[in-house]
Amino acid sequence: MSASISKPRSAFWRHWQEVRLIGQDPMLAIGLIVVASFVFLFVALPLLRVIYQGFVNPVTGEFSLVYFAQFLDPYFGPYLWQVVRNTLIMGVGAAAGGTILGFIFAYALVRCNFPFARLVHIVTLLPTISPPFAIAIATILLFGRNGLITRQLLGIRFGPGVNDIYGLDGLIFVQIITFFPVSYLIIRAMLERIDASMEEAALSLRASKFHIFRTITLPLLAPGIAASFLLLFVESLADLGNPLLLGGNVSVLSTEIYLAVAGQFDQQKGAALSLVLLLPTLTVFLLQRYYISRRSYISVTGKPTGGQIFVKEPVIRWIFIVLTLLALALVLMLYFTILWGSFTVLWGVNNQLYLGNYATAFSRGLNAILSTTFLSAVATPVAGLIGVIVAFMVVRRTFIGKQTLDFVSNLGGAVPGTILGIGYIVAYIGAPWIAILIVYALLAGYLASRATTRSWAALALLTAVTVAGYYLNWTPILLGQSETGWRFLLMAAFLLLALLGAAFAQPGKSRVVALLFAMMALALLVYNLSPWVTEPLARWGRQLPGVDLPKIVVKVSAFITFFTQPTPAILGYTFLTLSVFAVEQMRPRARPWLAFAAAALSASLIFYGNSLTLVGTPYIIVMAYAVRSLPAAVRAGVAALQQIDPSLEEASNILGGDAQYTFRHVTLPLILPAFFAGLIYAFATHMTSLSAVIFLTTAQWPILTVWILSEVEQGGMSVAAAYSVILIAIVLTAIGLMSLWLKRVYGASQRIDMTLGG
Amino acid sequence: MFLRLDHVSKHFPARAGSGEVRAVDDVQIDIERGQFVTLLGPSGCGKTTTLRLIAGFEFPTFGRIILDGEVINELPPNRRDMAMVFQSYAIFPHLNVYENIAYGLKIKKLSSQEIRRKIADVMALTELTGLENRAPNQLSGGQQQRVALARALVMEPKVLLFDEPLSNLDAKLRVQMRTEIRRIQQELGITSVYVTHDQDEAMVLSDKIVVMHQGRVQQIGTALEIYRRPHNRFVADFIGRANFLPVRVLDRASSMWVLELLGQVIEAPGEEDAAIRKSGQAVLMIRPESIRLSPTPPNNEKAAWSGVVTRTSYLGSFIEYDVEIADQKLLAVRYDPAESDLYPVHQAVYVQFLPENAYLLPGE
Repeated sequence: MSASISKPRSAFWRHWQEVRLIGQDPMLAIGLIVVASFVFLFVALPLLRVIYQGFVNPVTGEFSLVYFAQFLDPYFGPYLWQVVRNTLIMGVGAAAGGTILGFIFAYALVRCNFPFARLVHIVTLLPTISPPFAIAIATILLFGRNGLITRQLLGIRFGPGVNDIYGLDGLIFVQIITFFPVSYLIIRAMLERIDASMEEAALSLRASKFHIFRTITLPLLAPGIAASFLLLFVESLADLGNPLLLGGNVSVLSTEIYLAVAGQFDQQKGAALSLVLLLPTLTVFLLQRYYISRRSYISVTGKPTGGQIFVKEPVIRWIFIVLTLLALALVLMLYFTILWGSFTVLWGVNNQLYLGNYATAFSRGLNAILSTTFLSAVATPVAGLIGVIVAFMVVRRTFIGKQTLDFVSNLGGAVPGTILGIGYIVAYIGAPWIAILIVYALLAGYLASRATTRSWAALALLTAVTVAGYYLNWTPILLGQSETGWRFLLMAAFLLLALLGAAFAQPGKSRVVALLFAMMALALLVYNLSPWVTEPLARWGRQLPGVDLPKIVVKVSAFITFFTQPTPAILGYTFLTLSVFAVEQMRPRARPWLAFAAAALSASLIFYGNSLTLVGTPYIIVMAYAVRSLPAAVRAGVAALQQIDPSLEEASNILGGDAQYTFRHVTLPLILPAFFAGLIYAFATHMTSLSAVIFLTTAQWPILTVWILSEVEQGGMSVAAAYSVILIAIVLTAIGLMSLWLKRVYGASQRIDMTLGG
Repeated sequence: MFLRLDHVSKHFPARAGSGEVRAVDDVQIDIERGQFVTLLGPSGCGKTTTLRLIAGFEFPTFGRIILDGEVINELPPNRRDMAMVFQSYAIFPHLNVYENIAYGLKIKKLSSQEIRRKIADVMALTELTGLENRAPNQLSGGQQQRVALARALVMEPKVLLFDEPLSNLDAKLRVQMRTEIRRIQQELGITSVYVTHDQDEAMVLSDKIVVMHQGRVQQIGTALEIYRRPHNRFVADFIGRANFLPVRVLDRASSMWVLELLGQVIEAPGEEDAAIRKSGQAVLMIRPESIRLSPTPPNNEKAAWSGVVTRTSYLGSFIEYDVEIADQKLLAVRYDPAESDLYPVHQAVYVQFLPENAYLLPGE
């Protein structure tokens, strides 16, 4: 046997091999490029822009530290520090209270043989599907200056100087009720997975119950409790709705940021304050990700262990049960108040049963209801698709940047939504050219590398495509053409490509190639022709009788336009992606030529006009929604994938199935039920999110949560309550439909697991 | 050569810290058409990684994998014309038995008639006929095993790979299935590579056994060669049980070593080895069943050592003894024992063995 010839290869070489291997499979490579581009464009870029904006004067473009210097300023300083102090007190208070309450609920439900535990579990989850300030509205209705309990029952009159519900204490109370379900879910999951035999082992060693709790149960739960505390801390800091409603004179960072952007139109101030808010958030996020999750003794991915211990001492058991029941009664009372409040004329003054609030809500807020539901629904498959690809790549593949991809895709949901919202405004008010070019280079570069075999040829092709695509843009101006005419020209070119592609495709693949290019031509045709449908539809709708019907028809027309007339850049990116699959089916000799033509045409769309200027369009709201629920979608995907033995995929692979055949025939059918169940959480997240989209909403695409907020600010508590009830009803309907559908398709075994959202 | 691993290595990045783990280290294996080769070794020895390299689930860091004259180093698994039976069976839970077996044939785009015929044949061969419409969770472990086997066989692969396929079955079924696998393999003449840590399985099934340890091939040979003429202490110890006694080497005469063991001179087989000649130090491997014990001095001319029994365990078909001679502890086994063979502890005995069944190995 000859001596080993191995010498250590560099890490770079290994990473290059990994990239090369993924590149061999177009489906995989395209999937990776798409998700990487998505998180880059809609998570990394906005956050980077916020950070940059914090240091730069938006008008002059000069570097300035003015808003950081204010912290040291004797005039602004004390106020700003007070804001920071308030923020931290609110965060710690809400986190501590919420965790304690969450622990009590979890312990009572898991360990105390709680009556109707399943029902209580569901009720406990209500706050996770409610708009962020439903509790705040209810609290004001009950304990406010005109509250049912404070004024009617206790007869308190709030003069100046009397401690009312507005302020830090009320805020913390509301946040505890709003966020404790998250803590409950985390601690419950931990508690269920503690192996009963461990405590039995301690018992057999003659440890007392309390000793066991102190030395076994609590240490095993500690990571969960810490995780819950940190998560609640971050959620509390990020919360915008409750501080706006209940803060009173007390200001916290999130409201300061909101007021800076929405009130003073000072983006730099908003960005600078965002950085201050980002600091604790990121610290906690990193701490949670790289420290606490590694210290956990219990794997949360597995199934709960079979045996559960129940607390036998009646005193302890009843203490927990009574505490839980009291808190539960409070939660139920708050929700009942919203419902009741939505049916009163004027809360506290005229409590007569009244349906007018709903009439008002439906007529005035119909656009918001329709828009929010539509955009939330559209964003759901986006988040789901990106989430499942990220999950697949993270669980099943190794490549350089995997950690980064995982990290960034989670970051979008973890940072305060306000910050993300500012980022979107700053990044997408104009065309983010550098980012557009980076994504373009990734896609076109991959296409070029598939079209030619040599790297210099690929590079030459990429250059030629870029130049050609850029100058193609000038043709409409040179020819004096309208946009529509230009698109017809492009359509003709794509049709020609379909013919050429079919002629030079590999044997048996002509149909696929022709179909792909014909689809692109069709998309352009639909783009051009859709006004012929949408405009008459809207015109016809406007002259319909009644108030609601015209609104609905006009909105439907807008929905159609949403799909048929996307931003050219989105169209161009899609075409470029599809071109990769078409070029794949060509004869090797024809590949460079076809790739050149297809990529140049797509590039001209990407470079067209104010490409990807998304502020003001509904697409940015969809992206913001998708980014917010991406972590949950990834988590759902990862959890589903981890249930599948990797050798199933390998078996399909060695039986002749390539990566995409395997994914379609083995992986996807197996993860689908769990995945769909996870999607419903994404939808709920979209419907209830406020802070990320509050800056992005427009008159044409109003958002329901924003409307509730403005309604409350105008004092329309009853109407706001009606909106909240409607929103909760929409989410509950979606959950109901989804579980009904899942039950029909996959049998009763699938249950919607709201815990995935925790 | 049909399938050749040519100085193949696979390095993984180390889990903790930097650096690399050599999971497979310079492995050289040649497999002929129709041969049944087993990769045998303790867990973590690199046998499964080697199999996964052949399958294409991992690509080698160094070296070449050659199938039928073609280098297939980075050919993805779906284009290798191989099939594999997995440890977990990997039966698709959302497909029934028929659909599972048809999975690969459908990818091959065979006509449905042909698929039906082939599946009928393979189901008859693996005695699954009648279970076509069963869901995987309605099958017993043995049946699942057969489905996995049928799904691989029906592809008529160039190479059939087995990754510890029997380790999830109970002992009796395991014995039954391994003879069945051997029967089918012989009947179809499929080149097979089989991974196991069970030496009985390896010996029953294989034409050739590859013993691996710490990523390296320790020895390649038939069951007899590996048992009787191990290359080193690891192989001797891993295949069956063995006693190792230090000896002083005196000479080599007519392909036998002349050596001194605890004061007596004997001749034992062993490979020619310059290092042993030079140092004169070596160990003699003696299988427990080669040792004969007698309470009285044996009345033959052969060498005998006197010792003391320190343990006697009766196991029905055989008895195990620990015997101490000089300072050395020996394990001895007596098959088909009589009642009089149950020596009590502290009994003085005389130890003899057949030197031609012993084997000289390089020392420590």
